Amino acid sequence: MRKGYLGIDIGSISTKGVILDEENNILESLYIWTEGNPIKAVKRLLKELKEQLDEDVEIYGIGTTGSARKLIGLMVDANIVKNEITAHAVGTTHFYPNVKTILEIGGQDSKIILLNDSIITDYAMNTLCAAGTGAFLSSQAKRLGVEINDFGMLALKSRNPVKIAARCTVFAESDLIHKAQVGYPKEDIIAGLCRSVVLNYLNNVGKGKKIEKPIIFQGGVSKNEGVVKYFREILNADVIVDSNSHLMGAIGIALLAHSHEDGKKRTLNIADISFETKGRECDKCSNHCEILRIYKDHTFIESWGSKCGKIS
Amino acid sequence: MDKVTIGIPRALHYYYYGTLWTSFLEELGFRVLVSPKTTKDILTSGCNLSNDEMCLSLKIYFGHVYTLESKCDYILVPRIDNYGVTEQTCTNFLGLFDMVQNFITTPLLTYNIDEAHQKHEMNEFIKLGLSLGKGKEQSKLAYIHSFKKWLKENKIRKKEESKKLNSQKIKILLVSHPYNIEDPYIGSEILKLLKNMNVEVIMAEAFISREGNKKALELSPNLYWKYNKELIGTIPLLQKQIDGILYVSSFPCALDSLVNELMLRKIKMPHLNLIVDEESGSAGMETRLESFIDILYEKREKAR
Amino acid sequence: MKKEKKLGSITFPQMGDYAIPANFLLSHILHNKIIVPKKITSRTIELGTKYSPEFVCTPFKYTLGTLLEGLENGANILIQAGGGCRYGYYAELQEQILKDLGYDFKFYNLVVAGHTDVKRIYHMMKEIDPKFHVLKGIYYLLITKQMIKYMDDIDHYIRGNIGFEVEKGSFLKLKEEMLKNFSKVNNPLKLHYLYRKYKKKFKEIKINKPNDVLKIGIIGELYTVMEPYSNYELEKELASMHIEVKRFTNVYYLLFEKHKKIKQYLKNTKKYITYQMGADAADNIGRAKELCLDRYDGIIHIKSSFCTPEISAMPIISKVCNDYHVPVIFFSFDSNTSEVGIKTRLEAFYDMLLMRRKL
Repeated sequence: MRKGYLGIDIGSISTKGVILDEENNILESLYIWTEGNPIKAVKRLLKELKEQLDEDVEIYGIGTTGSARKLIGLMVDANIVKNEITAHAVGTTHFYPNVKTILEIGGQDSKIILLNDSIITDYAMNTLCAAGTGAFLSSQAKRLGVEINDFGMLALKSRNPVKIAARCTVFAESDLIHKAQVGYPKEDIIAGLCRSVVLNYLNNVGKGKKIEKPIIFQGGVSKNEGVVKYFREILNADVIVDSNSHLMGAIGIALLAHSHEDGKKRTLNIADISFETKGRECDKCSNHCEILRIYKDHTFIESWGSKCGKIS
Repeated sequence: MDKVTIGIPRALHYYYYGTLWTSFLEELGFRVLVSPKTTKDILTSGCNLSNDEMCLSLKIYFGHVYTLESKCDYILVPRIDNYGVTEQTCTNFLGLFDMVQNFITTPLLTYNIDEAHQKHEMNEFIKLGLSLGKGKEQSKLAYIHSFKKWLKENKIRKKEESKKLNSQKIKILLVSHPYNIEDPYIGSEILKLLKNMNVEVIMAEAFISREGNKKALELSPNLYWKYNKELIGTIPLLQKQIDGILYVSSFPCALDSLVNELMLRKIKMPHLNLIVDEESGSAGMETRLESFIDILYEKREKAR
Repeated sequence: MKKEKKLGSITFPQMGDYAIPANFLLSHILHNKIIVPKKITSRTIELGTKYSPEFVCTPFKYTLGTLLEGLENGANILIQAGGGCRYGYYAELQEQILKDLGYDFKFYNLVVAGHTDVKRIYHMMKEIDPKFHVLKGIYYLLITKQMIKYMDDIDHYIRGNIGFEVEKGSFLKLKEEMLKNFSKVNNPLKLHYLYRKYKKKFKEIKINKPNDVLKIGIIGELYTVMEPYSNYELEKELASMHIEVKRFTNVYYLLFEKHKKIKQYLKNTKKYITYQMGADAADNIGRAKELCLDRYDGIIHIKSSFCTPEISAMPIISKVCNDYHVPVIFFSFDSNTSEVGIKTRLEAFYDMLLMRRKL
């Protein structure tokens, strides 16, 4: 029997799972779309991971991170639930102990983490604007009739990226339509978009942060060669993209699940358990809290969302 | 030996006191270097130096300060807090000196207007002269001369602007801080568009008067912001001679957000409120201006 | 014969627990009916936001919302306080907005352009209630002042210890009881007695507080700091992470200590600033330095979106914290800030502080 540790990173767009062995080597990994339903996505994720996994591996720790970390943590009986900033930092420093800057652009948010000796010293997360995130790039790719996977390669072909107002999705979009109407070549527009993502990121999340080498770029968008190119160009520095860059959060939380092992064995067989959430608006006061009640196997286990704490 | 050069950022209070400063410093024998008109680069460096939530006008100011860095011996960054308890300025003007100090290495020249605490303009200018190694009398005279010159300039401006009131065209009163409407990246585009639409634009800033300030207090008794008071005071003075009012402010101007909203509610006459940020495209602006002007024309037709 | 006018019903904007002393004062010195503002809820904010200009700072929306709810509950006299930034101008625009909505009421603004005029306030009170008596007014004003001082003092102790209570909820339960009893007093001696009694009771609450707890200082814009709903119950959240919290801004500070303390702050931060920057901006720079020197683990700066004085102070606060190597995190709250986002960033901040401890 071998011990394994599962890390699950549930983002708004994609769900990532990684299983590590006792030496923290990656045994299995999987990347699937969340499709707006984290519960369903994680059930599928675990099912497929189990099929891939050698039979003699048993799971002794599960960690969850990402925007649905709490809910999924309950569902899979996680021994650790951590925010994605910490998870990303832990994952990255495992492979690159002297990393100074982590740039991360995901589906719906982006962050920057500064470290020193594997310790987070500063970080920032975008709060307001969706321009320059994966979701924005996908929607623009669709608008231009380009596969998102070809997006980066097309961008590299451009010699003359168009300038696109990068501050805000609304402006960027109207600017983009305008540029397309005027007749700029597609690759120049795509390159312009990639460039605007970088500029927007640096102006927004990266503002006032001292970006020092070594720099690592991760998150879904790090798979886009165009964006990587402009990061290198604008920062005038090497920007490392790990082949597992999209899995760093999941790896980080798996590592944490390992270090917080509680001796309890866990199962990947959750496809058949019933896990439901029921939302309702509480009408006891004018706060009208959205109460979310969580049921596992038809028994109520927890509720969230009550501001006064008296309602469950 | 080269003359000592003093840099002045062409932004914010430059549009009120530019003449006063230039004349004062030149009379004392200094070379004055005013930063060039706002360009895309100035705006970009300003944005990089500022916090996202700062108003566009302040971001532009930072950009101007930055272009002067190491091009002069001093940069003039005054702190203008108030001209009395009920004549306050914007909090950005209070913090300006300290904010700039935070990112610039060129030494700053400053003076502090805080009349609520007996810091008056003349004395502060004398102190400024003294700090530059000039005599007290000399500085005082330079101030008085410059002040007179400044007054005269404003008078001429008002006279010129008043002529427009006789025009037969559609007349719009443009209510906007001069540092916004006169800045190439905030107001110039609007002025250009209006010019093409063949309307007469009356600049409220040229009609500032004591009488207007009194009228402003009838509209808003508690208004304690000097520059806004001066601007809205022109509305009741000119209301009968104009067809509509155009408010232009920079995003997200703290004072305009309240005062202009109150005016929109209180002054019953056609109006348009434009808020400019660094991404405002002229396309959207043009449509809004056009439809506004159309309304004014229609109203005039009906009145006939 | 002159017919006696019916007295109006008074309401005022909500802010933290301070509705209690405000109600105490008004109900003792005036014969009018007082409509105590209810605790802020999501409906309050929806209402306030709906009728506010878009880019106004958030406290405008919050206070407008509470005033609207007061009007709905039958108030026809509104009292606003004003302050040292654009808060001072809220009243005029709010009055117009509410009038445009068709409400009939009188609006009184206590502080104009950051200044209070005793004579003006006297006339105001006389207008609200012709039977208003000055001496009675002063007497209860003094008790109220004391009450605020005691409340703020107890709160200070609570913040430092609530994260370590053994029995969950014991601090807040006792506080509720204390406030209830405070509002019933009618002489300063009784108030003082209650204060001593509750202070002792609070100290008796069992806590489990190790020596090396994480300590965080909260600074920022005053309304957001003092109204828990507007800061997404930040203090509660920190308490649940077992953190000792220090916060400076309270009503007693603003009314009675600020004018003295600000000089000291300016003196201590000479290296960073020369002048005041409006509202509490300079205070917060001074506090940041104080927290750094007192070896706090981290600083949280909170404000409502578009609060200009704090925006001016932020780069300088960053610089101070950078010089002293103390992490600082900035939150800018808006009526549609994502609560999940706040929690994530807060948790990461906590993790970071813990990691730094290990260095």
